[in-house]
Amino acid sequence: MRDLKFLFPFLLLLIPVLSYPQDQPATPITTVDVHSIGPQKLGYLPPIIAPPNNPQSAAKIQLGKMLYFDTRLSKDNTISCATCHDPSMGWSDAGPTSSGIDKQKGGRRAPPVSNAAYCPLQFWDGRAPTLEEQAKGPIQNPIEMGNTHEVMIRTVNDIPGYVAKFEDVFGTPTITVDMVADAIAAFERTVVTTDSPFDRYVKGADQALTPLEKKGLEIFNGKGHCTACHWSAHFSDGRFHNLGVTPTDPAKPDEGRYAITNNPADRGAFKTPTIRDVALRPPYMHNGSEKTLEDVVDLYDRGGRVGDPNLDPLIVPLGLTKNEKKALVAFMTRAMTSLNPEVADVKPIPASDFPK
Amino acid sequence: MKRLSVFVLTLIFLDLALPVDSQAIPAFARKYGQNCNMCHVAFTKLNDYGQRFRDNGYQVAGQEGKESNVIGIAPPLSLRLVLGYSAYINDVASTSGFGLYGFDLLAAGVLHKNVSFLLIYTPRIDSPASQYFGDSGASQIGSLESVSLVFSNLVNTALNIRVGRFEPGYHVFSSKRSFYLFEPYEIYTFTTRNNSYVFDDNQIGIEATGHYPIGFKYALGVVNGNGANPDNNVNKDIYLNVVQTFGKGDGQTAGQRIGAFGYLGWQPLDLPGTVISPTGETNGGDNKSFYRIGGTASFNLRTLNLQVLYMMGSDDKALNSLDSTKNYEYSGGFAELDYAGLLNNRLVASVLYNWITPPSYDSERQMMAYSALLRCYTGDWTAVNVAFHVEFTHRETGKDVKYKENMIGLALDFGF
Repeated sequence: MRDLKFLFPFLLLLIPVLSYPQDQPATPITTVDVHSIGPQKLGYLPPIIAPPNNPQSAAKIQLGKMLYFDTRLSKDNTISCATCHDPSMGWSDAGPTSSGIDKQKGGRRAPPVSNAAYCPLQFWDGRAPTLEEQAKGPIQNPIEMGNTHEVMIRTVNDIPGYVAKFEDVFGTPTITVDMVADAIAAFERTVVTTDSPFDRYVKGADQALTPLEKKGLEIFNGKGHCTACHWSAHFSDGRFHNLGVTPTDPAKPDEGRYAITNNPADRGAFKTPTIRDVALRPPYMHNGSEKTLEDVVDLYDRGGRVGDPNLDPLIVPLGLTKNEKKALVAFMTRAMTSLNPEVADVKPIPASDFPK
Repeated sequence: MKRLSVFVLTLIFLDLALPVDSQAIPAFARKYGQNCNMCHVAFTKLNDYGQRFRDNGYQVAGQEGKESNVIGIAPPLSLRLVLGYSAYINDVASTSGFGLYGFDLLAAGVLHKNVSFLLIYTPRIDSPASQYFGDSGASQIGSLESVSLVFSNLVNTALNIRVGRFEPGYHVFSSKRSFYLFEPYEIYTFTTRNNSYVFDDNQIGIEATGHYPIGFKYALGVVNGNGANPDNNVNKDIYLNVVQTFGKGDGQTAGQRIGAFGYLGWQPLDLPGTVISPTGETNGGDNKSFYRIGGTASFNLRTLNLQVLYMMGSDDKALNSLDSTKNYEYSGGFAELDYAGLLNNRLVASVLYNWITPPSYDSERQMMAYSALLRCYTGDWTAVNVAFHVEFTHRETGKDVKYKENMIGLALDFGF
């Protein structure tokens, strides 16, 4: 034993490893720079922290909810935020891509509004840094709501009911685009799904997941390589990857993040979406090219599309067995589907209830 | 006399059969909150993702600079412990016993974007205590199996530099990350007379590596060539390894891969016998050359992976104490078939064939060995893992008179 004394210093070195707090509360994602820290563990979502310049209030949230469902923000009074981000469709739509005014088709799938508050950047290509900035975009997108900010503001300012509510919330009767965006963002920050079987499981309810779902979680965090990108409590790294998704138009592939950064490494790269509630919103990928979760798993298992010159180096064939795929899908289907009634029960506001 | 030679052979076998220092770095898994199979087919063998992680200087490929360095995480320390029971039977004797077959302390991590390190300390646990602190001068109580700095992506992915003591890049099938604990690749440890170079040794020097999106990789190194010992001549050994992968993946678990390697070294015949440098180097003279060349291939079919290595070696005739008129030329290799299955690769099975063909005048060292193993992994634990391991080897040495040996080992392979 005397001759093993030399091991003691190394055993002492292990103390800081063993004592490192493994279960410390996750840092709120909105307050850290996701682009400079590495993968974080899967876990339950921390509370949303609203930005200091747009604090939450019940009145603002209610106002934002009205605006979210109000088609009058669009050019021809036919499209609202909820048209493409429908609560009954996992806060997305039927896809594969979204339809805007005059039944124009967009090139990309509607990203879910649920838990978007946890995204460090918004849109598939990350061109908006905040929910507030994101909310302004579709209003003046010619194939989405087709309006202009000026016309939209005139419209809202002409509705006395809105003027009164904005004055109540913001203290001024003159409505601006920023106010509209702030209100919508405040509402969207309430659309968070924090209670899924997975969340209950990580909080200690061992029976919350079935044995098959537990196997799926193991694959998700191991051989399936899912947590290479779908990490943290949000199940997303908030970063951009080219997965080798089959383009809608091979002759003119969507350049994705490259259009924003002009960085060749971003060509064909899109933001990692969250896995939370993923089963509620097929089809999948930025262009809705994969119909089911099984198709998605198959795509990853193959290692993406053959011949994609800018495939993310994270993407490699996985060698999953049929049972492993089944477990993965089981995990993503029920275990990741939220049980939050306050989100699931959000109903569209009928036009008759809009401010007059 | 026969008993003595059997005893010596037994010792040699047991020495070779002791596990090589193995690498699995659970500190990485702890850092990322992922389980071992993110990077390993099943620890310790790397999958394609893990291979890319290693090639990229312990950074997630494509995510350089976007993760915490060693300051921002738990201390990046890991240990690997292999303990168990083994039985050995040869033509005339048998033995068995419990053993502590391997113990490594590892630290590795990212210091800064594209700057990382790896340190493996291996305490000596397999020698008499007198060798630790005795007065005979054998005071080494362990070895720095590896300590290296890696500077990654100096020219995109085409140039990475590793300095220190490291596993040379020609080890595309690393004995340190092999499933086999007791019986590594025999050709790696086959040594020739009057030559201190061991193919399997980690070497001190500098290495440039590169990998390209088309699946091509290279490793070019300059090393002392005699393991961790101070250099013994002014000539430096050089090596080159190239591999090409076809299809997706890196040939570890997906895609198909072929490669070739060459090592050119120098061994002094004239050793002055005294240390002439403050740092321990000697100025051995009359340097004679030797080389090792070979080819590698890795084929994947679903959950099966076949790894093949063929190597030829040649030492200058001046190094050949058996026949000084000829270069000492030999060849050998191995073929290994691995299966990984059950959920998250909880079960690994493998068969391995080793062979060595020395020159005819040294036929006593001709060797062939069959090995097989099963490994079962216990659970889904982030960065902690335990594998139950059983491994069997049958080996025959010699040409006309074959010396037969059998070894079976049971082990717990624990990584933290």
